[in-house]
Amino acid sequence: MATKAYDKSFREEVYQNVDSGEDVKLCMQCGVCGITCPLRGEMTHGPRQLWSLIRAGKRDEVMNSPDIMLCTSCYSCKVRCPRGVKVIDVMHGLAHYALEQGIVPRKETSKFGKAFWDSIYKTGRVDETEVPMRYTLMAGPIHGIFNMLEMMDIGRALLAHKRMKFKIGPGLPPSKKIKGMKGLKKMLDKAKAMSPGKEG
Amino acid sequence: MTYFLYPGCSLEAGGSHYLVSVEAVAHALGLTLKEIDDWNCCGASIHYVGGTELQTKTLNARNLALAQKQGGYDIIAPCSSCYIQMIKTAHEFEEEPKLAEELNQILAEGGLNYTGGVKVRHILDVLYHDLGVERLAAAVKKPLTGLKVASYYGCQTTRPYGEYDSVENPHTMDEILEALGAEVVPFEHKAKCCGSGIFFTEMETCAPLAGGILGEAEEKGADMIVTACPMCQMNLEIYQPRLNKILGTEYDMPVVFVTQLMALAFGGDFKKDAALDRNIVSAAEVLKNAAA
Ligand code: SF4
Ligand code: SF4
Ligand code: SF4
Repeated sequence: MATKAYDKSFREEVYQNVDSGEDVKLCMQCGVCGITCPLRGEMTHGPRQLWSLIRAGKRDEVMNSPDIMLCTSCYSCKVRCPRGVKVIDVMHGLAHYALEQGIVPRKETSKFGKAFWDSIYKTGRVDETEVPMRYTLMAGPIHGIFNMLEMMDIGRALLAHKRMKFKIGPGLPPSKKIKGMKGLKKMLDKAKAMSPGKEG
Repeated sequence: MTYFLYPGCSLEAGGSHYLVSVEAVAHALGLTLKEIDDWNCCGASIHYVGGTELQTKTLNARNLALAQKQGGYDIIAPCSSCYIQMIKTAHEFEEEPKLAEELNQILAEGGLNYTGGVKVRHILDVLYHDLGVERLAAAVKKPLTGLKVASYYGCQTTRPYGEYDSVENPHTMDEILEALGAEVVPFEHKAKCCGSGIFFTEMETCAPLAGGILGEAEEKGADMIVTACPMCQMNLEIYQPRLNKILGTEYDMPVVFVTQLMALAFGGDFKKDAALDRNIVSAAEVLKNAAA
């Protein structure tokens, strides 16, 4: 997980180490992406301003901005950006990069996302109802939105409506692996080594 | 006509009623659906927390390679998130030779190879363009006369390439619903985001987004929201009581898959074909009131 280029400016660091980071170079600061985000009201900077902070080398402001994890993946920016900047991929890339350095832009999304990825890496698949349940039951309530009992109620309703495969509880059976899991794991490891900013 | 079906993780569980109704609709229309053997998860909208971009593309390239090896039919991905992840990798594979080479180096680790060309299709695309509204209308045995629906595509369903419908003002599902005899209400939120992949973990932040969608549907007099995305269906339906608490509202709006209504209109069984017993906010009453 070592990252290169600390000696260079933050701008160069983003271009080299962040997935799709080089796309920031293409931006002409028109502002379309900033007004497009569904959660723009919750964001401090939004994508356009983040890009300009990156160019200005404002490392702390960018890496500590919760905005990089408030992207809903709606793809509105992707279809509207006049310069074809992969706005969404840069947002995701920045979030991944921050997390790797121990910065947590949004706590709950980070925890949940990690459980999600772990499931992919271990089994090749994810149970989209089971992972939230498992996550809630094990990680405790999500900042006041849910308590476990409410989540159990939702779980029971899903189960009763044939929309969950397993009963929830401590004895949750391990998810089944895909047949080609060994190969998939090798591929994912290789892909990681070949990703920007990774040794390999 | 033979297609691959990529059910994805959500059609196996939270979206099981989507899968049942997709299969019923395919059967009624004479389509053969084959599951891609040993498919893996697409990475969904939250992949980036644990994985790099290249790792996510690897997940999708593996599915494309398997599909090619198993016959190369067009892949139907009913989940909009799966659709977007797969079509993105498929496109970028064709457009970026360097990426294509890298992905093949990676696939080789698991004894696979991909040469490109496999098509990724949304189910709306196949229904609208391969079959056509007229054929769908001709299959209707019990028209949904009197049913008022808000046709909700969500954000990812027609994006990012606009391959089969407008990315800003889509219409394919509206026309399909009209072919079934339903009345489609004007709906400005049709392609607005509900919170998508971060809805579950940012519910308070995303509540106004979902509230806007449910609110407009109610205002326009819709009996239900119809969608073609399992994430939208889940976000807008099972968390409605939570949303009501956060927003101080009293929504009780059924959220139903377009294929569930198709299965019903084609004369299928409420449970066995349309899987409408699996909706937590029941649509039974509004459907009874309509002449179906
Ligand atoms: S829409 Fe594109 S060009 Fe305009 S500010 Fe955003 S990234 Fe830059
Ligand atoms: S995809 Fe993300 S960055 Fe782009 S408009 Fe949607 S929320 Fe904003
Ligand atoms: S988007 Fe959801 S359902 Fe589709 S494969 Fe991915 S995790 Fe699974």
